[in-house]
Amino acid sequence: MKIDLGPVTRIEGHLNVRTTVENGMVVDAQCMSEMFRGFEVLLLGRDPLDAQQITQRICGVCPYAHAIASSRAQENAYKLQVPANGRILHNLIEGANHLYDYLLHFYQLSALDFVDITAILQYKGKDADLLKVRQWVQVELNRGKAFPAAPFLPRLSGKYIANAEINIGAIKHYLEAMEIQKKANRAAAIFGGKFPHSTAIFPGGCTQDVRIDLIAAYQALIREVKEFVVSKYIPDVLTVAAAFPEYWKIGASKGGFLSYGLLPLTPAQDSKRLFAPGVMFDGKVTTVDLKQITQDIQYSKYSSPSGLKIQDSALTPAPHKEGAYSWSKAPRYGGRMIEVGPAARVLIDYHQGNNPTLKEMVNKFAGIAKITPNELNSVLGRHLCRAIQASIIADFLLEETERLEHGATAMADIKIPRSGEGVGMTEASRGALLHYIRIENYKIAKYECVVPTTWNASPRDDRGHPGAMESALIGTRVATPEEQIESLRIVHSFDPCIACAVH
Amino acid sequence: MIDRRDFLKLAAALSAAFGINGLPEPVMAALKKIDPAAVPKLIYLQGLSCTGCSISLLQAETPSPLALITDYSQLAFHADLSAISGKKAFDLVDKFISGQAGPYFLVVEGAIPEKMPEACVIGSKTFAQLLEDAARTMSGAIAVGACACDGGIPAAEGNLTGAIGVKEFYQKRGIKKLVVNIRGCSVHPDWVWHTIIHLVKVGVPELINDSPKLFYGRKVHELCPRYHDFQQEIFAKKLGDKGCLFKLGCLGPDTYADCPTRWWNGGRTWCIDSNAPCIGCASPNFARKKSIPFYRLSEIKK
Repeated sequence: MKIDLGPVTRIEGHLNVRTTVENGMVVDAQCMSEMFRGFEVLLLGRDPLDAQQITQRICGVCPYAHAIASSRAQENAYKLQVPANGRILHNLIEGANHLYDYLLHFYQLSALDFVDITAILQYKGKDADLLKVRQWVQVELNRGKAFPAAPFLPRLSGKYIANAEINIGAIKHYLEAMEIQKKANRAAAIFGGKFPHSTAIFPGGCTQDVRIDLIAAYQALIREVKEFVVSKYIPDVLTVAAAFPEYWKIGASKGGFLSYGLLPLTPAQDSKRLFAPGVMFDGKVTTVDLKQITQDIQYSKYSSPSGLKIQDSALTPAPHKEGAYSWSKAPRYGGRMIEVGPAARVLIDYHQGNNPTLKEMVNKFAGIAKITPNELNSVLGRHLCRAIQASIIADFLLEETERLEHGATAMADIKIPRSGEGVGMTEASRGALLHYIRIENYKIAKYECVVPTTWNASPRDDRGHPGAMESALIGTRVATPEEQIESLRIVHSFDPCIACAVH
Repeated sequence: MIDRRDFLKLAAALSAAFGINGLPEPVMAALKKIDPAAVPKLIYLQGLSCTGCSISLLQAETPSPLALITDYSQLAFHADLSAISGKKAFDLVDKFISGQAGPYFLVVEGAIPEKMPEACVIGSKTFAQLLEDAARTMSGAIAVGACACDGGIPAAEGNLTGAIGVKEFYQKRGIKKLVVNIRGCSVHPDWVWHTIIHLVKVGVPELINDSPKLFYGRKVHELCPRYHDFQQEIFAKKLGDKGCLFKLGCLGPDTYADCPTRWWNGGRTWCIDSNAPCIGCASPNFARKKSIPFYRLSEIKK
């Protein structure tokens, strides 16, 4: 039987997943992105410097990643030399954005798939926040109204954590995470101007001053976030893993991995990065070759040609196209399906032995969980990879602040050329992000974004092969086919963002 | 908690603000039917949006986001926070919209793709259809952010979807409903939450251009701490400079918003304090025309 899982909640945007279930198993899945705005068309003919502002509005969850990718594409096109301070401020802004996004994803978007929220009714302690929530839920339930305790109830049917103490601890951290994510964003906004949607990020750096008072405030906030990551976030991921160990084996995607690398160590375009770039098939990592990337559209709602390379891209919407089921294109690398995101970043870095702390943490936690590193390609693996990176990124950001030169400029002098082209790559929290710009007569003549969830929530390609999330869903056993909390856990582990995927 | 007393205050304030007889019939009907235990429930729907406004709402400081959705409102549905998912989530929304779950305010983030309704679908319905249906049952709507108010970036020149804001969508259909516009790309969390608190505790706030005067009464330029630089003609010449940013393209003179006095992200920062020109994100014309770029670097170089 066919069952739609949409509208999928606790993600960004408009996603349906059409599943076919036979004998308690998902035998087919189609990821249907259901919102289209057409950014690449909107950008045509605009001033190139509008791009890092407009493209941030692709996604209000990870706007800074789009600002950075667009700025790098423009730096490339303008042949800008970015000052050291500018590169560091880009990192401080982008890195802090990852920290908030990981916390939001684990607690606000994912935790309710595992944690029994009703355990709060059994709370007998003295914590003021928990007592307040308990009282609120009790009053809500006693009123006899429609949908009490929303948005936390009603919920999906399924197995939740049984231990009351664990549940209550997790609820407490859910509440704390709501406060801590703000601190990461406050830190990013010190240099970004505001969050969401930074106005201070530009190609060539950042307009904010490099002042010691700002640096100290940034450090204090990131230290608080780091403390939460180490003392609560990582242990909570391990607690969930201990309660649901089967999810080390559930939700593996069946293709390769791609990462553009995150957080450059120098201003050079080809700088070494904190997490190394690469593409990985069958356990082997090679250098990324952008010429291998094409985008199919046979199952996407466009009538423009299929299989185009990035710089040749086209976008003609066809909402009623026969057989098309998603507004997302289907990007492929050398014709093959790819997963991007936290597990891709970690695996690609790990197999190259780039970041020693990452290697050490992966080995340690894989040992605790009794898994091989390649089993990070799983529901729990994606969660753990985010937590590992949060810890490493927080430390790196604090080190970066020490490399800032107080009082020196953080902005290059921008001169837009009559014509030019450039490509900018980074890792958004959800994975590999690429922006391409071509300028003709001082205006944008072509703009193309290949975004993390375009990869992960990709529909079938022209050969009929599924996208990463589709492949991870197929073969999943589900207890309640109409609801499929198991499938939801898989979808959530990818942290899909449909506004990004389609844009 | 919202009790009967608070509800009556809300109803009285709504009546006082509009004159109860001046209210559109469905609003009056809704007001009469409101269940005191259920005020004010919020159904939060997203159209052509980026979720940036929702993320901004989670950056609220005082009260905290949790207090706002438990003490000052009841967030019956929000796609980013609701535990329930899929058909049951859609049914929950549908119960409110079909009038079976009591009164509610509709909160809208995102534009409506008027010329291509298939460009935004929630469950089994287009977003446009849901908004039309909701108009029959909701007490009013709060349009959150540039997209919901005026179309925002999805409505920028050359767009393919015919994106428009909630007010225009309803006007075109002859639907008369209270729509409060909270502009900004993204909104400041205070602008939305404090409007909701005002609705709950006092009534509809004083509006100009359908937006609360409290936040949108004066221009960024008027309130700007660099207004003195402007008067003294101390202008920034390149990005990263101090001084008035007008010659770099600052749209503060065209934009009504209280950013210069409110500040962002815990009151620690805002665009112009970080030497970044205002891009007019709270203006109804935000990003609308290709011929009006955000920055005017070339003009200074000449």
